[in-house]
Amino acid sequence: MTPQVPLVLGEMAALAMRNAGPDVPDGERQTALTLAAMLLGVAAEVWDTAAEHLVRENRAVAALLGDADDESDLRLTALRAENARLRSLLIAAHVAAEQAGDRAREDAIWAELIASTERRKLSISSI
Amino acid sequence: MSHPLEPQLAAYIATRLPDATDVAVSGLERISGGASRETYRFRLTWRQSGEARARRLILRRDPPASLIDTERRIEFAAYRAFHGSAVPVPEMLWLEEADDALGHPFFIAEEIAGFQAAPALLFAGGYDAVLPRLADRKWTILGEIARADPVALGLTEVMAAPALDACWRRELDHWEHIFDADEAEPQPIARAAIRWLRTNPPPPAQKLSVVHGDYRTGNFLFDEAGDIHGVLDWEMAHLGDPLEDLAWGLNPIWEFGRGLAGGLVPQEDAIAIWKRASGLQVDPIALHWWLLFNCVKGQGIWVGSARAFIDGGNRDPVLAYAAWWLLNAQDRAILKVMGKL
Repeated sequence: MTPQVPLVLGEMAALAMRNAGPDVPDGERQTALTLAAMLLGVAAEVWDTAAEHLVRENRAVAALLGDADDESDLRLTALRAENARLRSLLIAAHVAAEQAGDRAREDAIWAELIASTERRKLSISSI
Repeated sequence: MSHPLEPQLAAYIATRLPDATDVAVSGLERISGGASRETYRFRLTWRQSGEARARRLILRRDPPASLIDTERRIEFAAYRAFHGSAVPVPEMLWLEEADDALGHPFFIAEEIAGFQAAPALLFAGGYDAVLPRLADRKWTILGEIARADPVALGLTEVMAAPALDACWRRELDHWEHIFDADEAEPQPIARAAIRWLRTNPPPPAQKLSVVHGDYRTGNFLFDEAGDIHGVLDWEMAHLGDPLEDLAWGLNPIWEFGRGLAGGLVPQEDAIAIWKRASGLQVDPIALHWWLLFNCVKGQGIWVGSARAFIDGGNRDPVLAYAAWWLLNAQDRAILKVMGKL
């Protein structure tokens, strides 16, 4: 999920500090803090689910590609880097399957892509 | 407390009203008006020929970085082209492309006051009885935009005019480039959709039209009777295939979870209204292509939104919220349009 939660939290903290000052017009303060509050609510959900989704997705994509999933480092930054590596390989595998006319392989990749959107669904999602 | 921009803005406007005296700006406040430009409302007062005058105006200023990079000259020209026509738009007053006056380029327009734009309010229940009327107005106006002659409007002087069989490629190239430049993580679903779009191009456009580029529920001002008083956010306006504009509003993202085109009426009803107003046809194969394209375009906007926030060029919370809220939802919309969901 981009942008990543620590960056957003840091920016929301800075935003709260700016809006604590006396020189911010009331309307702008109200708009900024309302949006920041909505964002913090989503951040909680994104933060809580991130490791679960990344581990599951990395394992699923690695299995599909016959690749070794590197779980030597379970920090979120490492899991994200591994996810980006595997999803780049998945794009290449998808292109290769299309060019080879390998429908079974294409279907397996689409199934994983659909599953990935189920994993990443947020409670605020309308689709 | 007065806003620090007020004296700078008043000084600028004074240069544009040489016969005016006592030019003053008050009540300047930032309002939500799209994330691609900073939008403010304010009250302008001045004296002219001995008379005190006042007008409520809108300032649209470029942010340091945006989720979409567009030329405000084109947006300004699009508004001006339709002012006074069957397409309701605010009157444009001044365009300033230099940074000197307010730190970034901007334009100033009349405020169409007293109406609403927020989908959350529209779908809260109080407007249910007028949603069909609003849908009729919404797609009738879009049909009027499609029917308009870009040459007669003078817009071919500021916008590129692609050949009818090149409209799709121009747009797809542009948005694929956005992915290449901005994506912060791989986008396997959007990339697969882009490959499909290139392999299965649509037929040539039936005419070259003005394309608003972001005509959706949320980007027009409505009243309690279901009428529309202003079409806003023309920052992605260009010339192209009229089906592009029709399809953008049919992007599942803009159903707001209601299962209706724009959250308003069944898709076939929206298309019928547009056909009647535009006098144009809707080839289902071409519409499907443009619908999938618009899901890719939407994803390009959310990818760009995340990039602007990550790089620090613009840390407006709306950019992070749009990315978190919509990146996965837009992927699911792509899957839905491709028949995978």
